[in-house]
Amino acid sequence: MSALIQLSIANIRSFVRDRAALFWTFAFPLIFVVLFGLIFQGGSTSIKLAWVDSDASAGSATLRASFASIKQVVLSDEDLATATDQMKTGKVDAIIEVPKGYGASVAAATSAGAPPTTPAQVTVVTDPTQATTGGIVQEVVAGVLGAVNQGGRPPIVTATVTTIQTQNLNIISYLVPSILGMALMQLGVFAAIPLVADREKKILKRLNATPLHRWQLVGSNVVMRLIIGIIQTLIIVAVGTALFGLQVTGSLILLGSLVVLGALAFISLGYVIASFAPTEDAANSMTSVVQFPLMFLSGTFFVIDQMPQPLQVVARFLPLTYLSDALRQVMVNGTAFSPLWFCFAVLIGWTAICFGISSRFFRWQ
Amino acid sequence: MTMIDSSRPASKAGPSGGPAVRVQDVRKRYGAVQAVDGVTFDVQPGEVFGLLGPNGAGKTTTVEMLEGLRAPDSGQLEVLGIDVARNPDDLKQRVGVTLQTAELYPKLTVNEVLDLFRSFYKRSLPTNQLIEFLDLGERRTAQTRQLSGGQRQRLAVALALVNDPEVIFLDEPTTGLDPAARRSLWDLVQKLQGQGKTILLTTHYMEEAEVLCDRLAIMDHGKILAMGTVNQLVANRFKDRSVRFDEIPALTDEQLTALPGVESIKHDDGETVLYTQDVPATIGGVLALTEGLGVEPGNLGIRRPTLEDLFLDLTGRALRD
Repeated sequence: MSALIQLSIANIRSFVRDRAALFWTFAFPLIFVVLFGLIFQGGSTSIKLAWVDSDASAGSATLRASFASIKQVVLSDEDLATATDQMKTGKVDAIIEVPKGYGASVAAATSAGAPPTTPAQVTVVTDPTQATTGGIVQEVVAGVLGAVNQGGRPPIVTATVTTIQTQNLNIISYLVPSILGMALMQLGVFAAIPLVADREKKILKRLNATPLHRWQLVGSNVVMRLIIGIIQTLIIVAVGTALFGLQVTGSLILLGSLVVLGALAFISLGYVIASFAPTEDAANSMTSVVQFPLMFLSGTFFVIDQMPQPLQVVARFLPLTYLSDALRQVMVNGTAFSPLWFCFAVLIGWTAICFGISSRFFRWQ
Repeated sequence: MTMIDSSRPASKAGPSGGPAVRVQDVRKRYGAVQAVDGVTFDVQPGEVFGLLGPNGAGKTTTVEMLEGLRAPDSGQLEVLGIDVARNPDDLKQRVGVTLQTAELYPKLTVNEVLDLFRSFYKRSLPTNQLIEFLDLGERRTAQTRQLSGGQRQRLAVALALVNDPEVIFLDEPTTGLDPAARRSLWDLVQKLQGQGKTILLTTHYMEEAEVLCDRLAIMDHGKILAMGTVNQLVANRFKDRSVRFDEIPALTDEQLTALPGVESIKHDDGETVLYTQDVPATIGGVLALTEGLGVEPGNLGIRRPTLEDLFLDLTGRALRD
């Protein structure tokens, strides 16, 4: 046991002292998060609002004009059903619904000497997963209604905020789990390189001349990569949350077990590479050959449903597809375990097959 | 300071008081190459035993089979009375090993690598004691990639001593080291010998074998060609001494063989070697011949035969790095 711990510590030390490894493991995924975050954040300075006017009065027209006068706001007139559809597909950021009787209610409240009445209600529909956009919408609404109310007590108009869960995640909520999946994939697949290097340098052979058991050697490698994977997860989620308003809604236990299982699946894939790579250079090339299709065909950057049919078929066989999908479901939608059993099963299957292959073909000397 | 644990003298051999290492008719083939071809030898407790031979002679394969790193095709291997094939784990607790290449965790410090290896064994010597013994004190916080070749090799020996082993295998311990580093490693081996450790080393340096080994076996093409102490080996083979000088093309072998006392002639790397029973007469003859030709024999000298001569005689070729 002590040997396992000491060897894990030795592996972590070697890793931490290797600047290139640190960069690819921690900085590279973060660069992706920040880069994509900024690219897609830039677009959100304009807010697309669906305007659903069920009142069609002079009062509602005045209110519409107030919204339209705000520079960042783009208004489109829709009925409620269309507006809801558009929001679900991401065409609009929020819905503002003016109910029937709004104009009359405002007119009554503003006529001279009128008795205090219940304020008119405007409904604002936002998506909770789009925290940044939702916040901007609510500020815009508060600003417009504040102007209408002119500090009057009681207020003439108030807003009720309701939320709907849109099917289409916003881009950051989509990308952060994808990048986390990609980072775990690279962490695992890259396990091949130091292992092959240690074999080439005869370190494995030297260890073999000590009473150390092979399971301790493999175990220490896995322990080290799992620890790094968990740290990666914390950093990526923290940056996504702090800079781009990502909200992790799902169970942390489920997220944690996905991270561990995902890392295991790709570490075992790394071992398969190490089993067939004769030299460190060969291992380097083979990891590249393996990681790029995984990166681009597993829905990390492109939604799988929008890819050509043959590539969609390929994607269905790639473990990263299932890891990223499950990570998205858990992190953003708060999905429970039961709908995700298939993703878990695929990852466990991959891990078992890959460990099986590598234990059969890996050469220690 | 001693490395020996007083409760367990290192000179103690296998349970029956037999040899520390026993190799019995061992064979190993790699594809078409018979790397080890029926090798048999014993190493007595406290002895420094050398396997001497050129690259590819089968020395490393033999040692690695004893270390439990390779399985023999046939034959018996025993270390400290332990059957290597049957109980490799017991064996590994009690022996120390250095491999030919001594690259170890380049980004870890000397201290860290020693502590790591200590964790592999049931019992181990304190890190400080090892560092002091190997004279690595100044480099203990240096990463191993920053060490010189000699320091790296001393670290490799330190790692072989971590478990205070009774038998130590050193595979080409000084290959690639500069002369000073080689000397310091020799001192180290002699210090260990003084503590009663049994040491089996491989080398292709004649001088190293002469300085360090109580007994040695000369190997070539997977076979042992001769075995014994340096003196025995040389004396058995050559009753004669040799007269040598830089080759003179005009002199024929017939002329030289006809000189008084000459038994045999060899040409070795630009040098003519005459084995003779009568040194003064042979030298006189050489000088007379060269005077007749009007040349002077360069680097004319007399030598006792050495391992080098023995190897040349056994294999028909010189042993070079």
